[in-house]
Amino acid sequence: MSKESSKSRMSKARKAGVSRRSLLKASAAGAAAAATFAAPHIRNAEAATINIRMLIWQDYNIADTVNEFEAKYDARISPAFFDGNSEAFNKMKAGGTADFDLVMADGFWPRLYYRDGLIQPMNEELLPNLANLFPDFAPPAYNLLHDKPGGVRIGANNCWGSYGITMNLDHIEPADRDSLNIMFDEKYGGHLATGARFEENIAMAGILAATQLGTVDGPRPDGDESFNPYHLTDEELERAKELLIKQKGLLVTRYQDYDSLQKLMRPGLVWASPEFSEIYRRLTRAYEAGEIDFQVAHMLQPKEGGLGWIDSWQLSSGTTDSEAIELCHAWVNHYISNESMTRVAQIGVAPCYDVREFLPPEEVSLLMMDRTVELRGLHMFDQPSSPEKWERVWSEVEAA
Amino acid sequence: MARRRLGPEGRFLLMALPGAIFVVVFLLLPILSIIVFSFWRTESYTLIPDWNLDNYATLFGTTTYMTFLLRSFTMAVAVSLASLVYAWPVAYFIAKHGDRYRLLLILALAAPFFTGIILRVTGIQGVMGPVGVINLGLMNYGLQPIEFIMYTQTAVGIGVTYLFIPFMVTAVYLSLLNFDFELLEVAKINGAKPWRAFIEITWPLNWMGTVIGLVLVFIPSMAESITPRFLGGPNAASFGQVLGLQFGETGTWALGSAMGVLLFAVSSLVILLMWRTVNLQRSGFTGGGS
Repeated sequence: MSKESSKSRMSKARKAGVSRRSLLKASAAGAAAAATFAAPHIRNAEAATINIRMLIWQDYNIADTVNEFEAKYDARISPAFFDGNSEAFNKMKAGGTADFDLVMADGFWPRLYYRDGLIQPMNEELLPNLANLFPDFAPPAYNLLHDKPGGVRIGANNCWGSYGITMNLDHIEPADRDSLNIMFDEKYGGHLATGARFEENIAMAGILAATQLGTVDGPRPDGDESFNPYHLTDEELERAKELLIKQKGLLVTRYQDYDSLQKLMRPGLVWASPEFSEIYRRLTRAYEAGEIDFQVAHMLQPKEGGLGWIDSWQLSSGTTDSEAIELCHAWVNHYISNESMTRVAQIGVAPCYDVREFLPPEEVSLLMMDRTVELRGLHMFDQPSSPEKWERVWSEVEAA
Repeated sequence: MARRRLGPEGRFLLMALPGAIFVVVFLLLPILSIIVFSFWRTESYTLIPDWNLDNYATLFGTTTYMTFLLRSFTMAVAVSLASLVYAWPVAYFIAKHGDRYRLLLILALAAPFFTGIILRVTGIQGVMGPVGVINLGLMNYGLQPIEFIMYTQTAVGIGVTYLFIPFMVTAVYLSLLNFDFELLEVAKINGAKPWRAFIEITWPLNWMGTVIGLVLVFIPSMAESITPRFLGGPNAASFGQVLGLQFGETGTWALGSAMGVLLFAVSSLVILLMWRTVNLQRSGFTGGGS
């Protein structure tokens, strides 16, 4: 209300012999009545917009994809982000099923979520865009998005990659370029970096430890049929710890994000580092543009074995409203569409879907979309067999 | 209808209530919960109310966590002393010579707080990092980069000092605002050298402000986790950083709670020891009731 109209209303009220207090009371009653009449319409308007709450990797929060979906479905997308699978799992265990409708997870993690009742099955009929999956990421080649081979679908593929080693070819000798040993080799001391994620550091050292001990093909703990670097024997874990302690003296740092690693690799301060191939792509593009004078390579699968991942969308068990469930499926199907997956590829992550025809050949090569078969030999990201035991090992490494 | 007026006791309770609710909800209850959790155990990201002392045995039974504690304690002491040495002349200058620009100068010191901590730490990285201003400058002139300011404990120390110096300056400055600089003139007339006047008059009469500054810098430095993550190398993991890991990636909440209790106990002990050095009468304290 403007000042003038307020004043004139007061003066009219005085003339009519109405006190200020009674006028205020009347105004309040009027406002309350208006609100009562308007309330059902307000509620309807709010109900029309369903809010989908997602716990996802930050890279996948792509504005164009979100805006398209929100406009098409009159829905609202509310993302929250995490930095590692354990962190997301931990959040969902600590009441996150009530806070999130969708959650992303890698490798074996969806089965762990399902086992603990944190997610619910997904309806394949509502996900027609799954038809565009690369065969290497669909059953029978890849079964981890079903509770068991031939079981119910518990997630929808998103992207894939390895936790391979990117190396500067000017400094890493040809004979060393196929082994995890690079990351523990004293001759590269002071020019190595690793990520800050404790699980992948221990798992990678675990692969080398088991290779050195000759236990890869031996009896496995936790009822595993084959070697899993996330389920190590005590002997392997101890050797992995020794390797990691030795490695500390060779490291420049444990990087926190891609940009930090790029700042170290681009000027040639760091020669080798495990990463999700993002820096490999950036540096390759920089080399092709003549911005740097050295070439890089990305070791997808070291001879001892490597780590890989397929990340995926899961539906929280806390989402029970049928309309919300349907809308979550619509979001996932929208996200895995060719248009959206092409956008994902353009930000530098390799989709599980065949969008090669929408990308230039050099991008297809950089995103390793012609090497999808190599995923089959990689050890998928998993939960440590005992988070408590792994925490002690990591703390001992950090304190050493 | 006649209104009942609140008596003095009622008014006192009404005014004290918001503060009391704040302390109970945001201080006592969280502390109580971490004390309880510290006697439980965690298994595969699940807290299990199985009362035991294992977490404390883990903390005190190995050198691992004591190493982190000692590392953080040493860092917090060094940072507090560095802040003290740096802050006193700054605060003294502003209080004595700042005149009408005092407030502006203090606000200028608080300017870094207008941004988030990660941005400030990243900014420091842009100065001290391997491709930061200092090292790039040196390398441009064909000189070797300074290694001890890149991903080391020293880098963390510089970063944490930069973050918390404004606390120290503000505390000392507020103390000096109430200090009567005429006392120094009297000392001078009586033959005291400036240094002796400082030691015998300025320093003790402002000790309370200094102690508050020391506590304000020491406590957050002790718990600091962001700066070591960004500026520290593989040998700089702090107690706060490892504590954060327990509630995040490793999900070992019970051990994290025990670490939290230990951190709280050490911090409280430091506050207590510092407080015992304060002579209220000497510092000119006039509060405390009748």
